[in-house]
Amino acid sequence: MSELVVDDLVAGYGDARVLHGVRFTVKQGEVCAILGPNGAGKTTLLRALSGMVRTRGTVTLGGTELSGRSPDTIARLGVAHVPEGRGTFMPLTVEDNLRLGAFVRRGRAEVDSDLDRIYTYFPVLKTRLKQAAGSLSGGEQQMLAIGRALMLRPRLLLLDEPSLGLAPLVTRELFRIVQAINAEEQTTVVVVEQNAHLALGIAQQAHVLETGRIVLSGTAEEIRADEQVAQSYLGYRV
Amino acid sequence: MAGFLQQVVQGLGAGAIYASLALALVLIYQFTGIVNFAQGELAMFSTYVAWQCMAAGLPFWVALPLTLVVSFAGGMLIERVIIRPVEGAPELTIVIVTVGLFIFVNAAAGWIWTFLIKDFPNPFPGGALELGGVSLSFSTLGVLGVVALVMGLLYLLFQHTKIGLGMRAVAANPASARLVGIRVGWTLALGWGLAATVGAVSGVLVAPLLFLEPNMMAGVLIYAFAAATLGGFDSPLGAVVGGLVVGVAETLAGAYVGFIGSDLKVGVPLVIILGVLLLRPQGLFGRAAVERA
Ligand SMILES: Nc1ncnc2c1ncn2[C@@H]1O[C@H](COP(=O)(O)OP(=O)(O)OP(=O)(O)O)[C@@H](O)[C@H]1O
Ligand SMILES: [Mg+2]
Repeated sequence: MSELVVDDLVAGYGDARVLHGVRFTVKQGEVCAILGPNGAGKTTLLRALSGMVRTRGTVTLGGTELSGRSPDTIARLGVAHVPEGRGTFMPLTVEDNLRLGAFVRRGRAEVDSDLDRIYTYFPVLKTRLKQAAGSLSGGEQQMLAIGRALMLRPRLLLLDEPSLGLAPLVTRELFRIVQAINAEEQTTVVVVEQNAHLALGIAQQAHVLETGRIVLSGTAEEIRADEQVAQSYLGYRV
Repeated sequence: MAGFLQQVVQGLGAGAIYASLALALVLIYQFTGIVNFAQGELAMFSTYVAWQCMAAGLPFWVALPLTLVVSFAGGMLIERVIIRPVEGAPELTIVIVTVGLFIFVNAAAGWIWTFLIKDFPNPFPGGALELGGVSLSFSTLGVLGVVALVMGLLYLLFQHTKIGLGMRAVAANPASARLVGIRVGWTLALGWGLAATVGAVSGVLVAPLLFLEPNMMAGVLIYAFAAATLGGFDSPLGAVVGGLVVGVAETLAGAYVGFIGSDLKVGVPLVIILGVLLLRPQGLFGRAAVERA
């Protein structure tokens, strides 16, 4: 079981607090969408979950405490974070980038077969294996970043605005793949997204974050039906 | 012609030594963005360790691996204890720390071993190979061979081991490296350990040619800076090529450019540093600091 439980999470940078007591739960195998305006603290929330910023409060994954641990330890506990900006290892080859995703895993044969699995999700990566990752297009880099995260065989996948800077068609394809991954591997997913339509399309639960607090929670349908959300994030009135 | 080739060979021999120290500089710069001004002094200190082992009666080929191990551990320790606390500090702070380390190590060596010069044995046999009027001394061939070997081993480490992959990842994107589970702090320490080891090799290669004394590496360091600047501070291959070019350029300038002679030779690396910074700041093999976002 890898249920994610976040309780009274406080985080920030230096003296500046960004999150003020965030609380939510994501059931094993579910997709949870985090919506909210720019600067609400969505990225900071993901960073807090993966240990990139200092936190107070508790975060547990399947009962294991994540809070207070370093990012490399949290990664070893099965959390893969696709960060804002994608975190590509630019000068390294596409293949090296993917292998790095499995850095903490043992068993070369298993890792090799997982590489093949990634290529079935993202065939374009296979044609670019020996190319420097920095030369990929934005969309290809986003695929690479998700592929890299999957190489960990994560129990929890954190995605920070996968649609950023991508053409609508590419974005839809990407979300379709994330949904397939979630269905096939039972990976728990937390996705932060500006494109609320797409995020709500694959999520079971959603939360709206504003200035570091969750102001609205519910099932994807409930959030979609909310007038306020519709105006702010979906661009239409219910 | 033979005279010219002779100068080139001599230049390559000197260049290989600059290359080895430049390699050490580049190793640290790649991972941390730090220019370690103390690299030469650490190499000098390592050389004293080798000397001390031999003074205690150990043969050279036992003293050498022992020295390399001590240097590796010392490099890691320095990173953990002295560099770690200023990690992420402004560049000037870090420069001052490494300059402080330079002075400290220099003084420590003087205090332990005095400033009197010491003889250091040449590990390579005397004599030379005659080849079409050019004489290749075994000493020069040995130095070139050792540097080629070091380069080859580093290549294997970086390109064909998991640790090497992790090190390249840390150099490319430390935040992302942490997110895939790499222990970045230890990787940086490993980089310092490797650099200190490579530096120790260059110290042991220099000592028989000069004499062993605490200021032995000061001159070499300037050439190594020129080599790393020329090759590109983020390119190990560039460091080696840069070292060889600087060595040859310096030797030829000393021999053929009348007013330079042997006194002004040390001006050559400075001219090279200036020229590169003006014309191609990233060096011959370096990456320019522009990347696709
Ligand atoms: N590295 C940092 N240092 C200091 N403050 C930061 C840092 N990163 C973010 N902040 C601040 O924290 C707040 C929340 O930022 P965050 O990036 O989490 O927002 P976000 O919801 O992801 O916004 P966006 O939709 O624009 O990505 C902002 O006020 C921002 O200025
Ligand atoms: Mg953000």
